[in-house]
Amino acid sequence: MTSRPKGLAEAPVPIRMNETSAKETLLNAAVLHWMHDLAAQGIVTTDSELNIVEWNHWMEEHTGKRTADVIGKNLLHLFPELTERRLDRHYKWALEGQVRVLSQALHGYLIAMDPVSGEHGYSQMQQAVRISPLTHEGRMIGTLTIIEDVTERAARESELQAQLEDRSRLLSSEKLARNEAERANRLKDEFLATISHEIRNPLNAILGWAHMMRLGNLTPANLERAIETIYRNAKSQSQLVSDLLDVSRIISGKLRLDVRTVDLIYIVNAAIDSIRPAADAKSIRLQTMLDPVAGPVSGDADRLQQIVWNLLTNAVKFTPKGGRIQVKVHCVDSHVEIVVSDSGVGINKEFLPYVFDRFRQADASTTRVHGGLGLGLSIVHQLVDLHGGTVTVQSEGEGKGATFTISLPFVGVLSNQQEVETVQQAQNEEVVSFAGLPSLHGLKVLVVDDEADTRELIREVLKECGSEVITSPSAAEALVALEEHKPDVLISDLGMPDEDGYSLITKIRALPSEHGGQIPAAALTAYAQAEDRMRVLRSGFQFHLPKPVDSAELVTVVASLAGRAYKS
Amino acid sequence: MKLTERQSDALSELINIAFARTGAALSELTGHRVVLNPPEVAVYRTEELRGALAKFVPGDVASIHQVFAGPVAGDALLLLNYAGAVHLTDLLTEGRPPSAYLDESAREVLTEVGNILLNACLGMFGNLLNVHVTFSVPRLHLETLDELIDSTTSDKTEMHYALVIYTAFQIRDSSVKGFLVIVLSVDSLDRLIQEVDAWEAQQGK
Repeated sequence: MTSRPKGLAEAPVPIRMNETSAKETLLNAAVLHWMHDLAAQGIVTTDSELNIVEWNHWMEEHTGKRTADVIGKNLLHLFPELTERRLDRHYKWALEGQVRVLSQALHGYLIAMDPVSGEHGYSQMQQAVRISPLTHEGRMIGTLTIIEDVTERAARESELQAQLEDRSRLLSSEKLARNEAERANRLKDEFLATISHEIRNPLNAILGWAHMMRLGNLTPANLERAIETIYRNAKSQSQLVSDLLDVSRIISGKLRLDVRTVDLIYIVNAAIDSIRPAADAKSIRLQTMLDPVAGPVSGDADRLQQIVWNLLTNAVKFTPKGGRIQVKVHCVDSHVEIVVSDSGVGINKEFLPYVFDRFRQADASTTRVHGGLGLGLSIVHQLVDLHGGTVTVQSEGEGKGATFTISLPFVGVLSNQQEVETVQQAQNEEVVSFAGLPSLHGLKVLVVDDEADTRELIREVLKECGSEVITSPSAAEALVALEEHKPDVLISDLGMPDEDGYSLITKIRALPSEHGGQIPAAALTAYAQAEDRMRVLRSGFQFHLPKPVDSAELVTVVASLAGRAYKS
Repeated sequence: MKLTERQSDALSELINIAFARTGAALSELTGHRVVLNPPEVAVYRTEELRGALAKFVPGDVASIHQVFAGPVAGDALLLLNYAGAVHLTDLLTEGRPPSAYLDESAREVLTEVGNILLNACLGMFGNLLNVHVTFSVPRLHLETLDELIDSTTSDKTEMHYALVIYTAFQIRDSSVKGFLVIVLSVDSLDRLIQEVDAWEAQQGK
């Protein structure tokens, strides 16, 4: 005989109904009675013909069929769906001696019954079923079916499963976010390394040449070279800082566009003019195909020029000597397209999707050939986005050039040519000349700035044009100087310790006019965007001069404030 | 006791018939084609069973266990490793979200699958031996291999052999390995092998 494994001792081995004594008969009757009245499962017994012999109270309750009405009836006739659903086979197998298991997950139920409560989304009671053969002295005499209601359990399991799924989804999205944060952190580290390098490089040149100038033994030719180098490097640093400020504004959502109808052709031409010297220096051919009717778009002229300028600077940077850059502006449906293509180093296919990411350059190594912070294209992308346009890039791979396409919504025919804003070509002015600037003779200008270098620079420029200059390092001293010297024009820095330029102008505007309350004033600030300009004008300044100060612009603004006409 | 190559082949062929029935039953039940790989059969003494199975089912084992009684008696088990059991349930119950553990419903499904497979195999043996075997209700156990083997060999008074049948369920491009272990007394195994020999001889005619 077989061993009886642990846990199976209580397993109902085929029931042998060989009652021997009256006591046993009584006990059996009591068990049957219990099964009929009290069992918490459905119990159905049939004979070997599948005619119902026992139908317990639980079955009555849940099927609505009374015991008296089903006894003696054939189970498969009473429930024809058992045959339709091919579950009758389990009874056939049971009559062959097999125990059959019908799981809820694979069958749902054996006999259709209403669920006890309807809150679990099942329209039928979910059942777990065992069908066993009944034998007597080796003879098959019938079947025993035990039906358990597992609706609640199945519903609970589905709920738990859903929760687990949610949790694992949450976990994987957290993991994604963590990876993304780690990636961003890594990019920032790389960026910090790059920015240190990019800032230090021009600084080295500036410091080196300045040091030599201080020693005072430079030949005139070297002196000119020193000045030129210092100027060029300072300018490149200034560009770097502008880019950083742009990125910071874009990230913090503080970048606002000064939107007007602008002539794109004019803007593109201005950008082309400003990079032409750099292109010429590398013998790069600049080809333009500008459709004159493609002009007007709605946008911020400064920002649009920045977009085109960034793309062009990029193209010049990555195109070798003797290469070619093509700029095309044309209409496509309701859009204006600016296409900048070059015959440069091209872009690796793997890097292509990341071209517009911040702080990304294909070559992040310290020995890379091309400088820069990797911000230009990211700024382009963000600015184009803000204009409601798109920017895309195509490259056949390394060494095969790249094509950037900007698509901007087209405004249509211009109603008034006067509305088209033109753009100052500030970036294009490589050499400052005082010739042609208005004379400031007889003017007294009060310059307020906490930085001595800036004060001195402004003083020199203004003196060069004939004005008398009084300087003050603070707002408090400026108020004294105003009273004392009665200047004609005020030029004041905004960011100063203790008291800033806004506070100064507010105090001045509160003065009576004979004490200088109406003095024409211009603000100097490194924050050079539209929102800063608005605040400056509201606080009482007439003009806004962005730092670094452009000498020509400074003189022109002072002259304008003093009501001086331009020299013809 | 070792099976000859002919006996092993014959037994494999017989079991394969039972497997085909099982595959057909599971395919109909799940709506997906289920195939059981042709069996590989070996006989071990129960003391050797631990060593023979350990490398195939490390860690926890899910077993569906049925006791059979009659002129031939013993224990029949379907063995799956835990991950395999979870995977098999997922494959068989499309629509239920895949799970990382065996909940009550999943255990019941495994019990039904084991029941179908064990019934088919033992039914086939019963037919071959022309004897009637009766079965206990199948039970699912989750335990270590050691605990499982101990539970099947609690009767130490008699030498037992284990017929180990290796197979794999192929469902929806996935494969789940499993073992069928039938523990028999020496007498029962002898009788089975005699009948296999007779069947094999008959086939050869």
